[in-house]
Amino acid sequence: MSREAWGASVVVLLLIVGHLLLHVTLGIGRAAPDLLTLAVLLGARRLRGGPAAGLGLGCGLLQDSLSALAFGAASATYAVLGVLGSRSRDVFVGESALFLGLYLFCGKWLHDILYMVLADSVRSGDVVSAVLVDAPVGALYMTGVGLVIMGAYRALGWRV
Amino acid sequence: MNDYLDEPRRSRWRDLSVGAVLLAAAFLLLFLPPQYQTSVRRTMRATVLRPFIMAQSDLLAGGLRRVDVTELRAQRDSLSAVVAAQASLAEENRRLRALLGLQERTGPSFQAAELVRVGMEGGGSTFLLRIGSAAGVHVGSPVIVPEGLLGVVWDVDRGTAQGIDWTHPDFRASAMTADGRAYGIVEPRRGRFREEDRLALTGAPFHTDIPAGTRVVTSGRGGIYPRGILIGTVVGVEESETGWRKSYVVQPAVRPAAVTHALVGVGDDHADLSRLWNVAHADSGSTAAGQAGIPPGSDR
Repeated sequence: MSREAWGASVVVLLLIVGHLLLHVTLGIGRAAPDLLTLAVLLGARRLRGGPAAGLGLGCGLLQDSLSALAFGAASATYAVLGVLGSRSRDVFVGESALFLGLYLFCGKWLHDILYMVLADSVRSGDVVSAVLVDAPVGALYMTGVGLVIMGAYRALGWRV
Repeated sequence: MNDYLDEPRRSRWRDLSVGAVLLAAAFLLLFLPPQYQTSVRRTMRATVLRPFIMAQSDLLAGGLRRVDVTELRAQRDSLSAVVAAQASLAEENRRLRALLGLQERTGPSFQAAELVRVGMEGGGSTFLLRIGSAAGVHVGSPVIVPEGLLGVVWDVDRGTAQGIDWTHPDFRASAMTADGRAYGIVEPRRGRFREEDRLALTGAPFHTDIPAGTRVVTSGRGGIYPRGILIGTVVGVEESETGWRKSYVVQPAVRPAAVTHALVGVGDDHADLSRLWNVAHADSGSTAAGQAGIPPGSDR
């Protein structure tokens, strides 16, 4: 494993731990960024389809274990996100901040919609505002945090 | 994390197959029987997530201790600082004393527990309790606070338990008006904001008018909640269903976000708890919800 791959693994691990610290230990809800989705999206860009799905499945299980909504919804969502993120390298190639921002934004938006559908929360809430307001705002927040983290990551001389 | 762009096609196909299998496994989780879901949840909470959950409890306890230190320093510094610092401490004190008073009156069928909230997606209506099956907590144990019914235990480990509060979409409670004139099922109604979440008393007889201000309590039917736990107060009619049943909007007695300690039902003793909230007799309907039956002067 190269130094760069180690660096990426550490970043993904730190993001997962950071998410659990913010959301579980400190109990911060939406005010804290969704670092779990960020970890899956960033990790998937560097992983092959299988490991990316595994990363998504693992992260999803963490969330499902603490959720009382549909069990498995987060696992399935993150696994799909992992595979799509991994496959996205075949379709979209880019290293710029703009591309990375778009990738993270679309990934998080897709995550929120997929999760909403799989958790069947479509029936119990305002779908339009959830998809067109809540999800984009959350995606924007996560994208901002992701760009800052990746900026620091690149400052170390590593690529995304 | 090795690059795979230059790898042979066969390797990529194998990799895609692994991905497809994992993807299928992830979707299979959606259809996993509840008993297996519980096992997975417990395992994850007892292993990977345990440090984070325990750390939250420790932080909570540490926060309380820091309040005490602040209080002592404030007393030493000046009287005005004492007054300022006592605001939050007095609130905490009031809650704990109220809970203590409630526990004395509920007897050994309820155990006090620390309540921990999780900020994960999908966990908004859930909480963790630092008490488990070792103390007699079981799936379906009611969780109450001095203001009334908070929720119900959903899943139990030996030392911890997970519960849902009344805002959870799956929450249901068999209920009645405090005077026993109308029975129905209480279920949550999602508002535009979480602060607007309400309860609805559904299935009430059409011919019975329930005036605003009437208190709604658990009826004891269904074997989950003991009879007489305060749920909330009727604030108006929600809708009339097909001309033979009515639904009423109920202002819940408990605000889940403010709860840090609660009492959890242990054992199967379903005694009538009406006396705790003074709802044993016909309700005048004029009092607001949330009067937990705290003995006068006990906590102030």
